[in-house]
Order: sequence, then structure tokens, then C-alpha cells
Amino acid sequence: MKINRTNLVVFGLSVMLGIIIAVQFKQKVPEMIPVTLKSIETTKNEINALYKEIEELKIMIKDKEEKIEMYESILDGNENLSSVLKEELRKNKTIAGFETIKGPGIMVKMTDNMDENAFGQAFDMDLIHDTDVLRIINDLRIAGAEAISINNQRVLSFSEIKCGGPIIRINGRSIGTPIYIRAIGDPQVLSAAINAPNTYGYALKNISQINIETSMEDEIIIPAYNGVFQFRYAKPVREGD
Amino acid sequence: MFFAAIGILIGIIVGLILPYTYSVTYSLYISVAILACLDSVFGGVRANLEGKFDLKIFLSGFFGNSILAAILAYIGDRLGVPLYYAAIFTFGGRLFENFASIRRLLINRKSEKSD
Repeated sequence: MKINRTNLVVFGLSVMLGIIIAVQFKQKVPEMIPVTLKSIETTKNEINALYKEIEELKIMIKDKEEKIEMYESILDGNENLSSVLKEELRKNKTIAGFETIKGPGIMVKMTDNMDENAFGQAFDMDLIHDTDVLRIINDLRIAGAEAISINNQRVLSFSEIKCGGPIIRINGRSIGTPIYIRAIGDPQVLSAAINAPNTYGYALKNISQINIETSMEDEIIIPAYNGVFQFRYAKPVREGD
Repeated sequence: MFFAAIGILIGIIVGLILPYTYSVTYSLYISVAILACLDSVFGGVRANLEGKFDLKIFLSGFFGNSILAAILAYIGDRLGVPLYYAAIFTFGGRLFENFASIRRLLINRKSEKSD
């Protein structure tokens, strides 16, 4: 083969092509995965969750800024330190449940099935059990109840609801039927949590024939927790510990 | 044939040694362009063997085809239609055609010589 212009051009262009191929080899080409509708949906949900988180953080920042402002006004002497602390104590007591509170909500009245015709074969299926009350309370909490009481016993995070034979024990006290459950929250949502089809309350009412009556009220009063509670084992973890 | 093969080999070695790379986003367009270039080189080799090689046709095909293929891939990306398949099928098919012709030409030449 002679070296002429034609062959030189072919050679030159081949070298160029080779260089491009080699550079392409060196590239770490990311694997392309087809985007499915499901993955788009997942990503959307993730983005929405992040947006929500951002919103919450913004609210938190605002809260902190307000606090700083308050401290500054204390420094300036505009506000009394003890009154601010009292206000804070009240707020914390309300959150903890040691303060009587009122607001719109519902009252649920539950009584045993008094009919002659018992449901099922075992007579205890006509009674209200601790688990029934627990599930009703859980439904109310899912529906956004802010405070709950059972027969004027405040239900708190450490309140027990325990079977005591024909009665139920809560906060160390015995209660019998009729059971009045009061809850503060959006009355319609709370009422739906008990009465809507396929809820536990609906099943109790229509299958077990337990008498459940709900009434929406503009003002429900929920008493404070009236026992004494102290942490004996739990200790707060502080930064720097 | 000889020059093309040696050229591509040298090019690959040089390319692996050179530190240059380009953005990964262009890699699809470059790969389609490479296919077009390869087809042109094979076509050039075949024409050379057949004795009807034209430098102008070779040069215009080499650059024109690769640029057109890359542009097609780019437009396809923008439109959401994988238009680069057109380039892949055309040039891929022609690549094998050209290679088949080269094989026949070379084998025929050898058998003529040995006869």
C-alpha cells in the first residue's frame, strides 16, 4: 500500500475517530433507567413531605423569634419576668394536662346492652370492655382530639385503662357504666370517627348492640388530672450530658 | 483498510493517554456520531478496495453523517422521541453491509492471487 493523499486522510480521520471512541470509553456513562409513573409519584410525595417539613421549620423559626423578642422586652424592662414565667408555667401545665380546659367537642355516652336478647352466646359480649374504650379513644385521637376524659377522669399519656370485672379502672379509680367519654376537637370530625360506617364505634353499636350516643357540644369541659404524678425512673436527657 | 485499522488503534491509544473528557450529558450524541463515523470509515475502505474512492464524498460523509446523527439525537431528546434510533438502524445496518462487501472483496482478491 502506498502512502498517498487518500490514505493519509483516511488515516488521519481514523485516528480522530479512535480518539473520540477512547474518550467515550473513559466516560462513566450513568445508567439510564426509564422513569415510571410510580417513581414520579414517589418523588412527588417526597417533595411534598420536604415542603411540609420546611413549613414546620418556618413556624418554628417564627416561634423562636417571638421568644427572642419577648426576652428582649424583658431586658428592656417592659415586661415583668415573673409574669412571663407564670404565663409559661400555665402554658406548660395546659399542655401536660394539669389544667382544666374547655372547648368545642363531643360527648360519647356508652351503656351496656340491656336487651333480653343477648348478642352471641357469651353474656360478656353485651358489656363494654376496657378494649372497647381503648379503641374508641384511639379513634378519637386519630380524629385530632386535643383532650379526652372518661367519666371526668383526664386521659393522659400515663393513664391506664384496665378491666376490673364489671367496671373499668382509669387513673387508679373505678368507673362503671354509663361511660361518658368527652373529647375536645373538631366536633364533626370526632363524631365521624365514632359514627361513620366501618369505624369501631359503628361496629359496637350495630353488631354488639352496645348503646353509643354521641352529641356535639359547643363547650366541653375537661377536668385537670387530679392525681399526683412524678417521674421516678425517667430522667430528661439534656444536651451536653 | 490497513491505514484505517492502524489509525483507529493509534487513536484509541492516544485517546486513553490524553486526559481530556467532555460532559457526560453529551455522551449519547457522541456515541451516535461515533457510529456514523465508523460507518463512513468502513464505507471509505470499501470504496478504496473497489477503486472508486472519492475524497470529497468520504470527507463530507464522515463529518456530515456524524453531525446529522448527533443533531438528530439532540432533537429527539428535546421532543421526547428517541430519534437516534433512526441513526443507529441506518448506520448500524450499513456498517454490516460495508463490512460484508469488504470481506467478499478481500477474499475474492486472495483467491484470485492463489489461483
